[in-house]
Amino acid sequence: MSHPQVLFARRRPGQTVSLETYLQEGGYQALGGAVGKQAPAALRKLVLDSGLRGRGGAGFPTGQKWSFFPADAPGPKYLVCNCDEMEPGTYKDRELLVADPHALVEGMALAAYALGVTHGYVFVRYDYEDVFRALERAVAEAHGAGFLGERILGTDFGFELHVHGSAGRYILGEETSLLNGLEGVRPNPRLRPPFPAQRGLFGRPTTVQNVETLCNVPHIALHGAEWFKGLALTPGEAGTKLFGLSGHLNRTECFELPMGVPLREVVEVHGGGVRQGRRFKACLPGGASTPYLTAAHLDVPMDFGNLDRAGSRLGTAGVTVFDERTCMVAATLNLLTFFARESCGWCTPCRDGLPYVCYLLERFERGQAGREELALLKAQPAFINQSFCALAQGAMGPLEGLLRHFEQELLDHVTRGGCPFGGA
Amino acid sequence: MPTLTIDEREVSVPAGASVLEAAEALGITVPHFCYHKALGAVGACRLCAVEIQAGPQHGLRMACLVEARDGMVVSTTAPAATGMRRAVIEYLMLNHPHDCPVCDEGGECQLQDMTVAGGHGVRRYRGKKRTFPNQELGPFVEQEMNRCIQCYRCVRTYRDYAGGHDFGVLGVRQRVAYGRFRPGRLESPYSGNLVDVCPTGVFTDKTVRFRARVWDMQCAPSVCPHCSLGCATWPWARYRELLRVSGREGPRTNGFFLCDRGRFGSGHANHPDRPRTPRLDGRELGWPEALEALRERLTKLTWAHGPGAVGLLTSGRASLESARALGLLGQALGGAPVVCEPHPRRDRAVRALVAELGQLGRDQEDVRQSDCLLLAGLDPEGEAPMLALAARQAVRRGARAAVWDPRPDRLPFPARRIARLPEALLEALARPDGRAPDGLEAAERESYAETRAALQAAERPVLLGGADLLGPRGVRLLLAAARALSRPGRACGLSLALPGPDSFGGALLCPDGPDADELLAGIEAGRVRALVCLEADPLSEHPDPARVAAALGRLELLVVLDHLPTASAARAHAVLPTTAAAEMDGAFVNHAGRLQGFARVYSAGLPIRVTGQGAHPPREFRPDTPGELPQPGWAVLAALAGEPVELGELRAELARSEPRLAGLAGLVAGGPGVQLALEPSARERPDTPAEPGVAEGELALLSVEALFGSEPLSARAAPVAGVASEDALALCPADAARLGLGEGEPARLRSALGEAVLPVRLAPGLAPGFALVQRRFGGPLEGFAPGGGPIACRIEKGGAR
Amino acid sequence: MDAKLEQDIRAEFEPQIRACAHPQELVVHLLRAIQREHGWVPDEGVELAARLLGLQPIQVEEVATFYDKIYRRPVGRRVIHVCDSICCWSRGEQEIRAHLEARLGIRLGETTPDGVFTLLPTCCLGACGRAPAMQVGFRLYGELTPDRVDRILDEERRAAGQGDPP
Ligand SMILES: Cc1cc2nc3c(=O)[nH]c(=O)nc-3n(C[C@H](O)[C@H](O)[C@H](O)COP(=O)(O)O)c2cc1C
Ligand code: SF4
Ligand code: FES
Repeated sequence: MSHPQVLFARRRPGQTVSLETYLQEGGYQALGGAVGKQAPAALRKLVLDSGLRGRGGAGFPTGQKWSFFPADAPGPKYLVCNCDEMEPGTYKDRELLVADPHALVEGMALAAYALGVTHGYVFVRYDYEDVFRALERAVAEAHGAGFLGERILGTDFGFELHVHGSAGRYILGEETSLLNGLEGVRPNPRLRPPFPAQRGLFGRPTTVQNVETLCNVPHIALHGAEWFKGLALTPGEAGTKLFGLSGHLNRTECFELPMGVPLREVVEVHGGGVRQGRRFKACLPGGASTPYLTAAHLDVPMDFGNLDRAGSRLGTAGVTVFDERTCMVAATLNLLTFFARESCGWCTPCRDGLPYVCYLLERFERGQAGREELALLKAQPAFINQSFCALAQGAMGPLEGLLRHFEQELLDHVTRGGCPFGGA
Repeated sequence: MPTLTIDEREVSVPAGASVLEAAEALGITVPHFCYHKALGAVGACRLCAVEIQAGPQHGLRMACLVEARDGMVVSTTAPAATGMRRAVIEYLMLNHPHDCPVCDEGGECQLQDMTVAGGHGVRRYRGKKRTFPNQELGPFVEQEMNRCIQCYRCVRTYRDYAGGHDFGVLGVRQRVAYGRFRPGRLESPYSGNLVDVCPTGVFTDKTVRFRARVWDMQCAPSVCPHCSLGCATWPWARYRELLRVSGREGPRTNGFFLCDRGRFGSGHANHPDRPRTPRLDGRELGWPEALEALRERLTKLTWAHGPGAVGLLTSGRASLESARALGLLGQALGGAPVVCEPHPRRDRAVRALVAELGQLGRDQEDVRQSDCLLLAGLDPEGEAPMLALAARQAVRRGARAAVWDPRPDRLPFPARRIARLPEALLEALARPDGRAPDGLEAAERESYAETRAALQAAERPVLLGGADLLGPRGVRLLLAAARALSRPGRACGLSLALPGPDSFGGALLCPDGPDADELLAGIEAGRVRALVCLEADPLSEHPDPARVAAALGRLELLVVLDHLPTASAARAHAVLPTTAAAEMDGAFVNHAGRLQGFARVYSAGLPIRVTGQGAHPPREFRPDTPGELPQPGWAVLAALAGEPVELGELRAELARSEPRLAGLAGLVAGGPGVQLALEPSARERPDTPAEPGVAEGELALLSVEALFGSEPLSARAAPVAGVASEDALALCPADAARLGLGEGEPARLRSALGEAVLPVRLAPGLAPGFALVQRRFGGPLEGFAPGGGPIACRIEKGGAR
Repeated sequence: MDAKLEQDIRAEFEPQIRACAHPQELVVHLLRAIQREHGWVPDEGVELAARLLGLQPIQVEEVATFYDKIYRRPVGRRVIHVCDSICCWSRGEQEIRAHLEARLGIRLGETTPDGVFTLLPTCCLGACGRAPAMQVGFRLYGELTPDRVDRILDEERRAAGQGDPP
């Protein structure tokens, strides 16, 4: 089943789109059409009308966020692109940027124009050396061609873009930690309020957006809000979505699919079905911090609203599939271990609560858990959800999924005195 | 003023207060670790959970982070809230070592309290605990990282509040630790606050490790005797040994914190050589005999030579009541006048302040709340350490700060600096037109103008100074500048560091009268034949020790009342042992004119040493307590005057005779104290002449106080003995080069204060033309009494040290 | 850390620092550069970064000890980061890790006696589509099998022997 390709339209396997190709295929037309010709406020309105929601995990409406931004306030303001992408199961931004880095440069330049921002950063995770290189090159090329720098396309609008290489920590994906990381101080999340739009990077108004979010902006600018909404298969949703498939599928690749594509199509058509002819047991629909879906959910349309209603979240749309032989306790332990290891150490529920959950899950796996442990485990989400930032709350996604859909599996661990799947 | 309901009780709180603070106002403590009144809320520990049942927010929330709003209904006891708190405690206890039996925090451990209060009594976690290595942090603070619960209070105190720069947070996830980059002594003068703010036993007072449990100790609210700020303290004693001092909440003074001098300097009370028995002509004797003999000799002298034959000298160290009792002794002796300070320039500076201050005095809280500060001739780290922290809080809130001082800047906040003596600048500031003084460089002139404009524009400006560098003339200029910058309805305040904890009170009691130089002249002329020193040590506090030594040698009778083994006490014919502040009730008037009481913590006596080696203390049965003889200075003096009194009577008499001290009658230790109602004196005073200049080939020598080693009490405390900085002569690099001196090379210093051969320390921040030494007891600089202002000195390459 | 390295780092960073409104933002960049040249960040590296940026060493250390991929202890010439997050876990990470440990004769967190390899676990490398994956230096290897791991180790060992950058 083929769907319209927007973000991946220029993608060629194994290649990175150069400036030349980008221009040939319509690149920087959106920027040229907006800068100096369209009022920034009109662009903000367009993004608001398009129904674009953040692609970084939280799904906050981008246009709404921009409407809070003091675009007309004097003094420095910043636009930051979040390419930390360290949530297990998520690799869409890498695919996008390695394929088409100019799309982000153009998206950021447009967003900067809309928001009255003159300085931008792309925050790239340590391990994405390929992305880092592709972006540095694209930024240099765009600079040379007058799409970045002081007088963009001969207008008064100027925008400088810096690429920042991080040094490895999931928490830096959290936008306020990221700002601390950029400032060169300890990247713990910041207290809100004040929100970054009021006091962000270096104390100045700042907007943080995901790579995919920003890459959508030129297309919206070119084709309009209605077109963008029309891309989605489900009402109230908008645009396409990059789905990164992983786990026990035959094809674990990243696909651009319309918002609202049914999970079944993702798994069976694009993912080529479960490996070795096994049965689908569960999946993380949107990265490590989303509650599991089960076979009962295969017909759920993959979009923000429907996944919420199904008790999970679209998150980053990194779909990790588990086959029937997977021990969900072990899978959850693996996920929780990740979150515990990546805790920034600021607040107690995350720093000490997550290792405690890991300890409890390990006891199930080792056959050392009884009903007391089950009760304890069930009590944890209410406490850990009181964490300072969303990291530990995200960690509760899979745990709550486990408790909701796989309690029997936990009980089996208790009655069997160990893992029924032969794990640990 | 939002009004809300917490646990079914209504409370109105100032706008902006948090739910936690609102609960506090009702006397309900919402358990918390990371919140601290002085440090604010950061939401890290997640312990302070409460349930919000009505209002703009709903559900379980962190009380420290939610602003109290009108109509809110809050429950601190809802099951969701108590469950959350219990869970957080359980999380925190997962890795906490069960080493309470050997933990010095035991009994005063917030974690212990919260664990009990939270109902976490059964350990369900059977896994391994994470462990950390500890760091060696120097002589004051012991670290035991395994006990940490990561509330971040330490680093927020050390770095954010106090401006320390050698302490931080290391690591991530469950391996967050706090410490230095490399092991080593904590460099901040406020390092000891780690002990107070740590809610568990990570940072404990190393100077008293394993010495006592909190319930073994006696304590009482007290006032720090180590400088003039009057910070609120809790001294703690056991077995007649003053073990440690911790910070007490002093809303108008220290807030919560203390400097390391105040905290670790109390050991002087345990000094092995401290006078403990009355001594007369080398003989130890009991009080009745000693007093009898002395009274007779003093009376005889007065009878034979008139009241002027007995000189009376006190210092800022003595309590208000003791100073008064000295005055009463003078009256009993027919009107012998009291000299307030052994250092005449200090004496005159303090008297100038007390006479003219009126309502302009500003305390630490005023400084914290100020929006514009000028530090003219103040080196807080040596003279009034907590004043620097107060100023830092103002600057953190956005106040502007300027410094006019030739000494290197070691302030914990940024300030615009003019590296000059402040006098001429203050004189300019005091003039109606405020025109900059002559001789400034362009940048300095601009800086001066900017500071003046900022002070004029500010709403709560405060001028800060130090009596030692300013001297009487400088103090008058500072006062005049403050008056010039005041307008109706908006005063420019003033905060001046004074030599001792009761310098203010002493000067209040004897506004005029002779100074120490006049006293010495009297001795030299043979008019004064006996001298009574109340907690004063002219031999090390007067700027001309040789002259003092000669004069003391002429005396027929030198009586020293003290609890310190001073140089003057060693020379005295009679030594009468007095009690240290922690061993008596009393009062001090702090630098800003606040009268504060302190209570007796324990009774003086020889400490019992527990050797820890199995030996039992000597089994000796006697009806008295060894070393119990020291008496409060005022009691000794009253007895000497032949009119023994109770403290209450003495205070009542004082309150009657000096209306400004009326508050003394109802004074309670531990209370907020009483701000004295001072009227600026209307008397016309002759202007003190400018100080003599420095001739060609000479440098201007400043002898100042250091954090440790200079102040007479703490200098005799064992814990700080090892940390006083090395004796050195600081020169700016240009002067050093001109003199052919390099870093560490010996230089011979000659001045009226004395001579010394000292290693040179290059101090780039020191203004050219100045030489700087820090007085230190027990070294070649002992006689270099601070307080003299700049004096001429000559420096040349020195020989062997 | 030798004087040459310090010189190179200075030459690389002093212009950037001068051009930067908030030099502290370069701290991660600097630490990464020191690590690139030295293999890991020794105490002197932290102090150098602090000096260049006008910070206290503890301010740099606070940041250095936060990140996963700043090594504050010596590592081998090749650092192997083997992913143990969910997607790799679901596709045979345990087997790959066991194989690495056996082949190298070391456990996670250790360095081979010849100083060539250090084996560390890492969270998701963003190679979930090519699981199981590992990264050697900045080189990403996906779809690992024990055989493929053997070939990669041989190749990396040879390159390390020739002094190729990691
Ligand atoms: C622990 C954590 C990790 C996150 N990681 C990322 C990330 O890697 N990339 C990203 O775009 N957003 C991430 N986010 C979400 C960001 O905080 C922020 O919401 C997002 O960058 C906003 O951009 P968007 O509105 O365009 O999605 C993360 C959030 C949390 C709490
Ligand atoms: S939940 Fe708490 S400890 Fe965890 S990453 Fe967020 S702030 Fe840090
Ligand atoms: S006191 Fe509120 S979170 Fe710590």
